[in-house]
Amino acid sequence: MSDLEPSLLRRLKDRDERAFRELIEAHRDRVYNISFRMLGSRAEAEDVAQEVFIAVFKTIETFRGDSKFSTWLYRVAVNHCKNRIKYLARRHDRDRDELDETTNVQHGAVGAIGGPGPRAPDHALEAQQMETLIQEAIAELDEEQRIVVVLRDVEDLSIEEICKITDLPDGTVKSRLHRARLVLRKKLQRHVGESNE
Amino acid sequence: MSDERSGEDLIIVEVSDFLDGTLQGPDKEAIAAKVTSDPDYKRIYEEMLETKKAMSGMQKARAPATFAQDVTATIHKRSAGRFFGRRTLGDRVPFGALMIVAVLGLCMIAYLLWASQTGSLKPNPSRAPTTEPIPSTTR
Repeated sequence: MSDLEPSLLRRLKDRDERAFRELIEAHRDRVYNISFRMLGSRAEAEDVAQEVFIAVFKTIETFRGDSKFSTWLYRVAVNHCKNRIKYLARRHDRDRDELDETTNVQHGAVGAIGGPGPRAPDHALEAQQMETLIQEAIAELDEEQRIVVVLRDVEDLSIEEICKITDLPDGTVKSRLHRARLVLRKKLQRHVGESNE
Repeated sequence: MSDERSGEDLIIVEVSDFLDGTLQGPDKEAIAAKVTSDPDYKRIYEEMLETKKAMSGMQKARAPATFAQDVTATIHKRSAGRFFGRRTLGDRVPFGALMIVAVLGLCMIAYLLWASQTGSLKPNPSRAPTTEPIPSTTR
């Protein structure tokens, strides 16, 4: 049932450092991307992603392997992001200066709206502006809506998997997703319309 | 206004389910038909499709290249090196380093024995056998 090889799981439980590194290499980008889209800051995302893996390593012995490891990992990531959002809200630390750095080549970010391949500078700029707009719109969603929309529309996870990650019933996930999309649609409506013209 | 809003919300729920592929059979066909015939459904479908495309097309942010090292370094630091402790005897005991130390120790002992006046390794000239003929004392 688990998507983690039994030999790797055994090595993880034996606290084999190389096994931990293998696990990080396999999942780091996805955990980081979820954290980044949830928090809107690379520095916060990196910090949270680190804490996620540390928490996973500390509790790996409790993972029984009867569910997907990725589901378990994303649940830990989502919980850490929720905690960090609350912490930042308490500190009123809403600085998202890095929003305009989403195409930062330092981190080797790839992928683009409209698919891979070279793009004209104006197209790239438009895509970057669109991405900034979406990230801002996501950041304005409430925490619960943000979780489901990031997992579904950004990470492309199934509704079933999101239910397992969030421990919510199917109907709740769907209604939060609909509400999130409604808000996003309204925020992006004008820009999407302009870009289509 | 509120009725209009709730009516649009209902369309969004249906279109959202349709886009997610969670509708089956007649329900799916009914929404597909409305999307092509009803202007409200069509407009909302197109807007939501664009939004969904824009969301899924967002760049995948990548973790820094040194991320794995950073995580393991943090674990080492916080656990004072005890976290990754359960290793085999061969991993835990530096046999190579111990062998080098042992060889150096043996070399040092050998040197001390060789340099010492009382040691047994250095040749003692006073005890060396003489080559000169021993004079006869019989007469």
